[in-house]
Amino acid sequence: MDRKEFMKFSAMGVAGLAMFPTNVFSKETKSTNNKLFPTSLPFSKEGDWKEFKISIGITEQEIAPAMKIHTLAFNDTVPGPEIRVKQGDKVRVIFKNNTDLIHTIHWHGIYVPWRMDGVPYVTQMPVMPGKEFIYEFIAEPYGTHFYHCHWGTLLHMQSGMYGSIIIESDDDPIKKAFPYEREYTLIYSAHDVNFIRNELNAMLERMKERSFLMKNEMFDAERFNLFNTKEELLEAIENGYQPPYLVNRRSSAELPTPNWFTVNGKSYPSTPYLYIKSGENIRIRLINAGTENHHLHLHGHDFWMVCDDGVPLPQPWQRNTVSLSPGKTYDIIIKGNNRGIWTFHDHDTRRVTNNGMYPGGNLLALVYEDLPKEETLVGKMGALPKIALDE
Amino acid sequence: MKNHIILILILFVTTSVKGQVSPEIELGAKGVMSGNFEIKDNNSTSAVSDFSDSQILLGFRQKLYNNWRAQMVFGMQFPDADSDLGQVFYNHVFLKLENQKNIVKVGRSTTQTIINEFSTLRDDDAMQFNYSLNPFSNGVNTQDNQYGNVIEYTHIFKQRVWLTFHGENFADLSAPDNFELNSFGGSLIYIIPESQIWNRNIIQRVGLSYNNYITNRPGGELLKNILGTITLNLKPDPVHFIDLKVQGIYNVGFTSIDSINSYSNYVNIGSFSTFGTIRYVYRKYERPMIQTSLGFGYKTFNNVTESEQIIGIANVFYRIGENFDLGFQYRYLKNNGQSGVLFGQQEHRVQIAMVYTINQIFNNQFDTRNSILNLEHSYLK
Repeated sequence: MDRKEFMKFSAMGVAGLAMFPTNVFSKETKSTNNKLFPTSLPFSKEGDWKEFKISIGITEQEIAPAMKIHTLAFNDTVPGPEIRVKQGDKVRVIFKNNTDLIHTIHWHGIYVPWRMDGVPYVTQMPVMPGKEFIYEFIAEPYGTHFYHCHWGTLLHMQSGMYGSIIIESDDDPIKKAFPYEREYTLIYSAHDVNFIRNELNAMLERMKERSFLMKNEMFDAERFNLFNTKEELLEAIENGYQPPYLVNRRSSAELPTPNWFTVNGKSYPSTPYLYIKSGENIRIRLINAGTENHHLHLHGHDFWMVCDDGVPLPQPWQRNTVSLSPGKTYDIIIKGNNRGIWTFHDHDTRRVTNNGMYPGGNLLALVYEDLPKEETLVGKMGALPKIALDE
Repeated sequence: MKNHIILILILFVTTSVKGQVSPEIELGAKGVMSGNFEIKDNNSTSAVSDFSDSQILLGFRQKLYNNWRAQMVFGMQFPDADSDLGQVFYNHVFLKLENQKNIVKVGRSTTQTIINEFSTLRDDDAMQFNYSLNPFSNGVNTQDNQYGNVIEYTHIFKQRVWLTFHGENFADLSAPDNFELNSFGGSLIYIIPESQIWNRNIIQRVGLSYNNYITNRPGGELLKNILGTITLNLKPDPVHFIDLKVQGIYNVGFTSIDSINSYSNYVNIGSFSTFGTIRYVYRKYERPMIQTSLGFGYKTFNNVTESEQIIGIANVFYRIGENFDLGFQYRYLKNNGQSGVLFGQQEHRVQIAMVYTINQIFNNQFDTRNSILNLEHSYLK
């Protein structure tokens, strides 16, 4: 086979393996891409209250083509639906637990009454399987926030129990400083899929037993590892109770080691495009609902960091990399001033991997909609972008 | 040319993907150490230190293309001292292929000579009652009945019903170098997965099996066995759990045999045996803490009267740490008539034991067939 034949053969092979025969600028692609951002949760008006309904269930999530995992999903989506309200709104969220596990919802960054904070056994009793809990609060403060489960937090959050809550202002300071029409919410997370699988199975098994026992009024504090006071715990230990973290009950520290990194529940090549036009400002709401630091870097641009934990910064910071630590939210503004297709990714490149293989993870692309077709051609490689799964 | 940009997945499968796919590694081990004190019918007594049935298993498993999985297992067991099998017996050397609904197994492994699991100290404690016995064996060891060179295919319906077709080469005393299949059969068993056993109101397991041994009798006459079993949850409670297990074996046998004056006659004569246990498990902190069971077995023979065998077993195990049990077992065996002449009329055996079992998976990568996620929330390939 000579070189010409080889090139021809390779081109045929590549074309034959095309997974997404679509146009990155087409309506279809954009429509599909829109689904990769959190959908706004509809509400009903009950007097002064905006009433939302959220349920939790176990679903399958395809985090990358052909890679499915079981997840805990609010309203069957990971991340959960976006709650978008106006500053000062009265918000009511009816939360229904459709799993065999125990959950709560914590409103991260919101000035809720303490009984609405979603911390089990501190602010409320946990929401048991099949039960409902109603959260009510006034939407304060302004900005980008998120919600997540606060029971078994390490497992439940990386299993998918997180979503954005955006509190808007009619007098939005960011919009005034950087007029924009389009905005995107990006929720970052990191997942040890083996940990999720094993711990979900173990938790489901435990809860089946505990539900049975509770139903049959066979509650036992030591069996449930649940005590009314610290003194009660110490007394139980004096009498022979052995806490579940002791080495004779749990030998090794099986802390998760994330091997999948998602944005809005997807890893590259399933991650969304961020569309922009020359001269346009777009606002991006960055949320870290995972356990890892993400050092997010945008190629070919600076951006303006305008909000920190939802709080507008008095002086926006111009930069090209931002370190998004667990629990943080940042809002950034990107100005469309350098036409092209640019990557936006974690510069800790361990997180731009899928199961240890680069590229993957939270690799995104900023795509200029007004990019001429001819500028996307690169010699014999043909049109960009392609999806390369190894290098 | 259309104004389209095509997103392409590039897979240089043969040139760039050279990474080693490391398997899941499963290490299983069981140490059974007991002090046995026996009194036989002539009032002779013996006391031995017994570590038989101790074994170690090493398994390697990985995902294949098209949603199949492969497994390779090596296992060795320490047999009874007088078994003629040497210091170590390789009880498992097999490869297994499986997907959600199908399992193929080839190699040395357990055979379909028992279709339930009974709570005795060692698997062979009631062997003459709860195993279909290998007609090619001289009865010196128990491994001849438990293990063989097998080829098996199983199809699983609705994650609960296991239909198995199997062929075996059992150890043959008269032709030790003959490795042709000398047995075949099939079974249909309904099994509740381990993770959900306590959570079922009545039936935990029910099954039927049919085995044929191709004997070297004139015309290659088949020795046929029919096994039936049922396990009932008497108290399906995760803390105080009680179940009842019963298995019956009807050995069709050969009508020409009318005595059991030899081991060969004993296994080839028509017979019916049954064995059952009632078991109580107390689970503290969501782990077994105490298990106690009572077992009873009975065996009778065609063409031979007043030669029944009876067995009674009582045991208790107390868990002193994760996977480590102290145990006590008493077994009474009564052999009447001709069976008494063959095996001795009666035996009392008291055993005080320590049992340590481990099962550890390294490099864990995928779910098991019977996990709750797979069973209740759809099977992920």
